[in-house]
Amino acid sequence: MAKSSATKDAQALLHSLRSAYASTPTNLKIIDIYVLFAIFTAVIQVGYMAIVGSFPFNSFLSGVLSCVGTAVLAVCLRIQVNKENKEFKDLPPERAYADFVLCNLVLHLVIMNFLG
Amino acid sequence: MAASSDTVVTPSSLRQAFGNVFSLFILILIGVLAFSIRLFSVIKYESVIHEFDPYFNYRVTQFLTKNGIYDFWNWFDDRTWYPLGRVIGGTVYPGLTLTAGTLWWILNSLNIPLSVETVCVFTAPTFSAFAAWATYLLTKEVKGPGAGLTAAALLAMVPSYISRSVAGSYDNEAVAIFALIFTFYLYIKTLNTGSLFYATLNALAYFYMVCSWGGYTFIINLIPMHALLCIVTGRYSSRLYIAYAPLVILGTLLAALVPVVGFNAVMTSEHFASFLVFIILNVVGLVYYIKGILTPKMFKVAVTLVISAGLIVCCAVVAVLIALVASSPTKGWSGRSLSLLDPTYASKYIPIIASVSEHQPPTWPSYFMDINVLAFLVPAGIIACFLPLTDASSFVILYLVTSVYFSGVMVRLMLVLAPAACIMSGIALSSAFGVFTRSIKFASIGKQVDAGDTGNGVTQNDVVKPDKTEEPPKEKASRKKKKEKENVEKTPIVAKSERRLLMLPMEASVVAILLLMLLGAFYVVHCVWAAAEAYSAPSIVLTSHSHDGLHVFDDFREAYAWLSHNTDVDDKVASWWDYGYQTTAMANRTVIVDNNTWNNTHIATVGTAMSSPEKAAWEIFNSLDVKYVLVVFGGLVGYPSDDINKFLWMVRIGGGVFPHIKEPDYLRDGQYRIDSMATPTMLNCLMYKLSYYRFVETDGKGFDRVRRTEIGKKHFKLTHFDEVFTTHHWMVRIYKLKPPKNRIRGKTKKSKSKSNSASSKRSATRKKNPWH
Amino acid sequence: MSRALALLALLSSFPFLALLSNAFSPENPTDRRVLVLLDDFSIKSSHSLYFNSLQTRGYDLDFKLADDPKIALQRYGQYLYDALILFSPTIDSFGGSLNAAAILEFVDAGHDLILAADASASDLIREIASECGVDFDEDVAAMVVDHTSYAVSDTEGDHTLIAGDNFIQSDVILGGEKIKAPVLFKGIGHSINPANSLVMKILSASPSAYSANPKSKLSAPPTLTGSAISLVSVVQARNNARILISGSLSMFGNRFFRSGVQKAGSTINHDKSGNEQFVTETSKWVFHERGHLKAVNVRHHKVEEAEEPSIYRINDDLEYSVEIYEWSGTSWEPYVADDVQVQFYMMSPYVLKTLSTNQKGVYYTSFKVPDVYGVFQFKVEYEKLGFTSLSLAKQIPVRPFRHNEYERFITTAFPYYGASFSMMGGFFLFSLVYLYHK
Repeated sequence: MAKSSATKDAQALLHSLRSAYASTPTNLKIIDIYVLFAIFTAVIQVGYMAIVGSFPFNSFLSGVLSCVGTAVLAVCLRIQVNKENKEFKDLPPERAYADFVLCNLVLHLVIMNFLG
Repeated sequence: MAASSDTVVTPSSLRQAFGNVFSLFILILIGVLAFSIRLFSVIKYESVIHEFDPYFNYRVTQFLTKNGIYDFWNWFDDRTWYPLGRVIGGTVYPGLTLTAGTLWWILNSLNIPLSVETVCVFTAPTFSAFAAWATYLLTKEVKGPGAGLTAAALLAMVPSYISRSVAGSYDNEAVAIFALIFTFYLYIKTLNTGSLFYATLNALAYFYMVCSWGGYTFIINLIPMHALLCIVTGRYSSRLYIAYAPLVILGTLLAALVPVVGFNAVMTSEHFASFLVFIILNVVGLVYYIKGILTPKMFKVAVTLVISAGLIVCCAVVAVLIALVASSPTKGWSGRSLSLLDPTYASKYIPIIASVSEHQPPTWPSYFMDINVLAFLVPAGIIACFLPLTDASSFVILYLVTSVYFSGVMVRLMLVLAPAACIMSGIALSSAFGVFTRSIKFASIGKQVDAGDTGNGVTQNDVVKPDKTEEPPKEKASRKKKKEKENVEKTPIVAKSERRLLMLPMEASVVAILLLMLLGAFYVVHCVWAAAEAYSAPSIVLTSHSHDGLHVFDDFREAYAWLSHNTDVDDKVASWWDYGYQTTAMANRTVIVDNNTWNNTHIATVGTAMSSPEKAAWEIFNSLDVKYVLVVFGGLVGYPSDDINKFLWMVRIGGGVFPHIKEPDYLRDGQYRIDSMATPTMLNCLMYKLSYYRFVETDGKGFDRVRRTEIGKKHFKLTHFDEVFTTHHWMVRIYKLKPPKNRIRGKTKKSKSKSNSASSKRSATRKKNPWH
Repeated sequence: MSRALALLALLSSFPFLALLSNAFSPENPTDRRVLVLLDDFSIKSSHSLYFNSLQTRGYDLDFKLADDPKIALQRYGQYLYDALILFSPTIDSFGGSLNAAAILEFVDAGHDLILAADASASDLIREIASECGVDFDEDVAAMVVDHTSYAVSDTEGDHTLIAGDNFIQSDVILGGEKIKAPVLFKGIGHSINPANSLVMKILSASPSAYSANPKSKLSAPPTLTGSAISLVSVVQARNNARILISGSLSMFGNRFFRSGVQKAGSTINHDKSGNEQFVTETSKWVFHERGHLKAVNVRHHKVEEAEEPSIYRINDDLEYSVEIYEWSGTSWEPYVADDVQVQFYMMSPYVLKTLSTNQKGVYYTSFKVPDVYGVFQFKVEYEKLGFTSLSLAKQIPVRPFRHNEYERFITTAFPYYGASFSMMGGFFLFSLVYLYHK
């Protein structure tokens, strides 16, 4: 009884989530795909590490953190360019994007440095 | 910042512009003040590097300027910790060295030929000026420029910080405090603006801090604490996410780039808090996002679902984490950090940490000495921070509370408390001035113009203050987040009623302002006194005033110069670790242990040698290829921090590794004494002998001026050591190990064979006794 | 002049030779000028065979009475002699500035000493011997008495003339030729501390010997008995100065040289005692005609490189070589042995290797630097019975890898590299898509 109501709730939840998400602007959706891609790569690496061990630990770290970092930065960008978010009304998306690029440059420079 | 966009009222905008120029001017003056108040040591003594650690930093900087950054990075130093050597590049926080090296390089490429030493000497004062400006920025973010200026002025003079940053005190803290405040400023700035640009800068500032000082763990724990606090109190905002998440990722990566931190950035417990909060923040962010796009009813459904499923997962993860951490012996925490959490930890388990005086808990007078009146202003500052409570002010409060705790554990961390206290006091002072000047102004407006003139006369001293009361409306549009907006809306409306409410009688206000200024004056006097008298002694040159004038004790440099001129380049010098850095830097001789106390066993070996009788000590030193032994002895001139006073630590540290050294053997009824009541073990140990050898020849009695007693054993000879040099005031004594005997003497004693045959016959008969 | 050259040579080869004796020329360690101090000049003729053998070997003997007020060992801080023979057992105080301390100083400066005591040895002689680690029997009237291995003589006597054949087994000290006849000894015995590694008994008494006054009856058991009694001992000090101490002056004398010997209980009657051979061979050893080693040209370098580096890296392969020569009395000959070892030492030996030799004096080996960084030493501690000790130490630091010497492009890490680069690529792709999607 409880179980069926739970599954029903879950279905309703999924449905409403999907419908709510459908209204998201395309640029945000692109970001979401990007974030998912990054997280997916990170998860694969963690799995790989669990199999082969943590020997080149710096490489593992930079690999995973580059994914996580990318995801986090993309989320930040998403927060800033989201029109519904009133906190950042004054921040032009161009500026947000420029900051995002700068941040990414720093991230990837560090990753390159740390990888080898 | 200069011209605000909504310039509707011309006079007010003019006044703002004037105020900005004026505050810039004041800031420059504060910088000059911060720099020049730290020059007492150069004026009173000379332009030298101070104390112990700075000598090492100086030596490293010299190496850096000579050999370049890559050689510095890979520097394997074979002149310390003989024979283990030390990988300098991988064990040193390079921030300070790189900073000074860069400064030197820039100056030299500008054809300003300053020596490396000069640059090193003046690095600390320069950075204290920067720190004052960073304080201004930070406090401005929290409470506006008025408070910022006050805080900056306070910080420029706070004795606690002066003690660590006088000219010549070339230590990590000199730049680290600037880095600390600046990192905090950028965090608050990011929090207020939500800009990724500042987040990047914040990560870079954090990187600089990690480069500079081990105290960076304070940041990486404080900021997560604040983030957590915001989440728990329902203050989560997407700005918090932007301020925190990139900092953790970028900061961790950057920290891992610093060789000395390396994988510790992800492997030790000190950093785990940040990752935990990072995960929580992401979850909370997701929840807020979903809450935003779902209807409240559906959200409730989602919550119940997620909680039931998530709880199990969470428990499992936490259990695994705890098991992992608990499996390591120190629970993943380094000794120093553990002693922060449990103040008794160090004295219980690690004598080497406890032996350092700056790792001891401070006494109450030291609070008054180091932060003076700020201690009384801080509570007022906290109250001011609560009205209204913003993210920024909550951060400052958190900073203060944690640093008060840490300073209570370790006197060295008073240094971290000082900026917090300055910020709080700055806020308190400026709010108080704000209230008083406002009430004077209103009273004077109410009372006619001429009264207002006198009122303005008083306020004139603090032109910034009325400017500051005008501040909230002037806040830039970019800062219009929710709370601030409330604030902005509130001020014009609430202001009037508030002003009327807060209005005090004019006389009271004037008196209060005068009292506050008196307090400030007292603070300034105290700070100048502290800078001039208490904290500017370089500790390698000592002075004392007596009835017949000034005495200068330059024994340390005398001894090091002797070593560098009279010993072989490859000779090894053994001393207690305090003098290791100075010996390598000033005498350029190989030492066994030094102030970088990374190898407890090695230090314990030296401690054991010092507490052993001569022969055993000789054997230990000989096995380490030691040629010379250096002891510091203050008994003749009354220099209290000499080796005899440190000796119990040598015994403790030695005994911690080599159990045949037992502390009670050196104590008579639990008392440490060196007079005739001292234990035989004490009187026969190497440290006693090397310190007091020939001491009785000075005054005939052997009166030790530090211990204020006559020494216990006055006439003795050294069998395994030769005195080779004793400085003018006997403060440093250098002994050479005798080479092994060329011949081994037979049983017959010299005296016996010298005596006449009758006695030798007698001894022969005595010798026969065992046969019967 | 030769001394200046020696000094130069000394300086140029400082680390290796400083530990060798530095008093005589390292290039020519055999002594030249010998001061002989006598009780009276009759000893000169009664011991002429011994002195002649020394003179024919090229020594410049300077005979002085021990109480001659003009004797001086050094002038202007320079020693006038390379060695000293003390044939003055009864002297109570030397003439001139000489005293026990001066003689010991002479030894500590690396010079050699032959000291002969006798039944009437003075306190001064005893003191010098005792400072060198040899304790003569404290009973002044005592002599070594042996009722089983005495030398058969015409008169029955008190068995104080001993025929000793209990030699040390060392070709270096006693020469390659075996001493067939027993050595005649009449004098006092001494003991040495077994823990003293510098002193060696080269002629010890038989187990039945004891040390006591032969004239009086034994009232108590003697202090020195059996083979604990040493008749002749040699000392090699840490600076390789060599000392010979004998309890009998007469064993160097012509009479004992020439007389035949028959050991009690033995039927073989040697018509010439072993004394001449024994004392001549030991004097060769004492005056460094034998058993003096030198080590030169310590070299080490990485395999396949010739330059000597100032620092090694962990796990480097290195080659080490040293040349060891032995002084033959006239020239340096290659020293051949298979027991020379080198240690790569930091508080304890990390590597211990026996060096192989090419029979021409060069000893060499190669090994891998251990995976530990620190300040190491190449140590050769060679101490062999009868030879001068070699103690070479050469300091060399070993550093860890440089930051760019670690392995790169590890295969296991390729997925991580891939992920990182895909993130970078993803960033560009994302930028393109994001900026141009409208």
